[in-house]
Amino acid sequence: MKSKLWLGVLALVLAAGGTALTALYANGNSNADDVADDQVPAADAAAPDPAAITRGAYVAVQGDCAACHTKPGGNAYAGGYGLQTPFGVIYSTNITPERDTGIGTWTERDFFRAVRHGKRQDGALLYPAMPYNAYVKMNDADLHDLWAYIRSLKPVAQAPTPNTLGFPYNIRLAMLGWNLLYFKNAPYVAEPGQPAQWNRGRYLVDGAGHCGACHTPKDALGGDTSAYLQGAELLGGYAPEITGNPHVGVGSWSIEQVAQYLKVGSNHMAVAAGAMGEAVEHSTQYLNGPDLAAIAVYLESLPGSGAQAPAAISANDPAMLRGAHIYETQCMACHNVQGQGIDGMVTGFADNPGIRALSPSNLISTVLKGGRAAVTEGNVTGAGMPSFAWRLDDADIAAVLTYVRNSWGNAAPAVGSPLVSKARAAVHAEPVLDKQR
Amino acid sequence: MNRRDALISLVQLTALSVAGSAGASVISARTPMPVGTQPEALPKPPRKGGLAYLAADEAREVAAIYDRLIPQDELGMSASQAGCVEFIDRELAGAFGQAASVYRLGPIVPGTAEQGPQFTQTPAERYRSGLGALAGYCQAHYGKPFSALDGDTQDSLLRAMENGTLHLPAINAAAFFALLLQNVREGYLADPMYGGNRDMVGWKLIGFPGARYDYRPYLDKKGMALNLEPVSLLDGAG
Repeated sequence: MKSKLWLGVLALVLAAGGTALTALYANGNSNADDVADDQVPAADAAAPDPAAITRGAYVAVQGDCAACHTKPGGNAYAGGYGLQTPFGVIYSTNITPERDTGIGTWTERDFFRAVRHGKRQDGALLYPAMPYNAYVKMNDADLHDLWAYIRSLKPVAQAPTPNTLGFPYNIRLAMLGWNLLYFKNAPYVAEPGQPAQWNRGRYLVDGAGHCGACHTPKDALGGDTSAYLQGAELLGGYAPEITGNPHVGVGSWSIEQVAQYLKVGSNHMAVAAGAMGEAVEHSTQYLNGPDLAAIAVYLESLPGSGAQAPAAISANDPAMLRGAHIYETQCMACHNVQGQGIDGMVTGFADNPGIRALSPSNLISTVLKGGRAAVTEGNVTGAGMPSFAWRLDDADIAAVLTYVRNSWGNAAPAVGSPLVSKARAAVHAEPVLDKQR
Repeated sequence: MNRRDALISLVQLTALSVAGSAGASVISARTPMPVGTQPEALPKPPRKGGLAYLAADEAREVAAIYDRLIPQDELGMSASQAGCVEFIDRELAGAFGQAASVYRLGPIVPGTAEQGPQFTQTPAERYRSGLGALAGYCQAHYGKPFSALDGDTQDSLLRAMENGTLHLPAINAAAFFALLLQNVREGYLADPMYGGNRDMVGWKLIGFPGARYDYRPYLDKKGMALNLEPVSLLDGAG
């Protein structure tokens, strides 16, 4: 009787183990990449296919590969850019077709596996700083063109910089568990009920564009939560909600206004700066009109968070009165008398969903550190916002942001002075000059 | 011009051009230029704390003189209450006190009236010698320092300095009075960041709105008192 019970338990354990193994296998299965060639290394002379290289260059722009794999001022695609993650610094690798330090010995299949399944040529697992969890949606044709483009790059001998991840994050095998939790190993499947434009938009947003890498909030292990594209804290900033929610998303913008923002870095109210400014400069400004429209159509179709406007804080609130005074004497000259901003140059605050985001950390860090508008072919000005860290103390910054977030059609929670103090330390902003004496 | 003068001016020209080239730097800009704070572009408020140049008894005498020039009354606080002594103390310790922008190398020739005041001493040195001469005078005639005299005596002394009838040894008393008057006004009206004009008392007195740069909300408000709250370069200064 007793032994029968044990046998039953053993059977259950085995069955559970089998299920787990099956899941693990499915999660790590990269058979989809077997369509690619596994014979010719990247550094070997390639049959010229200029059309594929041109298309591949466009795919590289969609994926914004250069954002990470080209260090600012460094050789194109030779890596060495340090990504600041909550777990340590991860350095991008050299993806030029150079045999010793780049991916010159990789075959097309090795490349597909790295991009879509997060596996190195030697089988070791990549960190999801490489957004293979998004790139897995990219189709064979795009990846084939991208490979043609990567092979056409100038080989650069530049050894990779070692990562500075602490234990346990320095164990690559741990990514097996991460993948099991967060990596959805599935290609893009078109939504049959939706038009081709919508599907193209979703393919770009979820695939190469990897918008969710910043705009979808992460949990403690850096995995996507279910609040898809509903706004997320970044290190020292905030990637706002980009769904159709009209209060904090882009639902109040027309398709053209979303597309214009991505094309030139600014529209009637918003100006891209910081991390989004870089994304616009390196990637979205080079997307063609139909693709930008497709992205806008898809984003606007998402219902998003359902965040609604709270009651605006009274203009007679002490923080609002102080904020109004600071706005008039410090901000108004550029941001305008009624928060209108300056078209294509200075952010307008009036009725601007980005200003109303639940998290004010973008606003705080911009006041503390200043910012530079994206410089694009369509808008070369690149207006600058100066730092006010030396000028305004934490209470004044909190007051003026509370004022901006609750004026001219805006309504959002007040900004607290302790939050500004924390941010001042976190973004390494200098103390107020008056307190430096 | 004789040979000797010509040589001296030649040396001076050379010295000037060397100083000029040492101060110049190549202006090169990566566009767009990075944002953020350029430390050398920030205002440089003087340090807080004790006196930087004046001795304690000198500061006491300056306060006594300043407070006869700008006394506490129905229009506002006195000069010393507004921080004018701290203001001039920091200024004397700094570039103004060292006459950093004034040519003082000679040749030393008496100037004309049209050429304005000409001194080989720095303002810091003029305060030291001027206060010393005044203290000596008061000690000799009244047996106590200026600050211990009654207000009427103080006023008559200052008037005598101003109109040139008081002669102090080794200094030009009228010019020293002019310097004191100029500095107390500066302390009362300069940005509070520099130590004086506490609570912007000077600006409120004359209706100066301070470091504002956008008046669009007031363009259509003509013929009325705006009562704008003045703004310092550094809020909370002073």
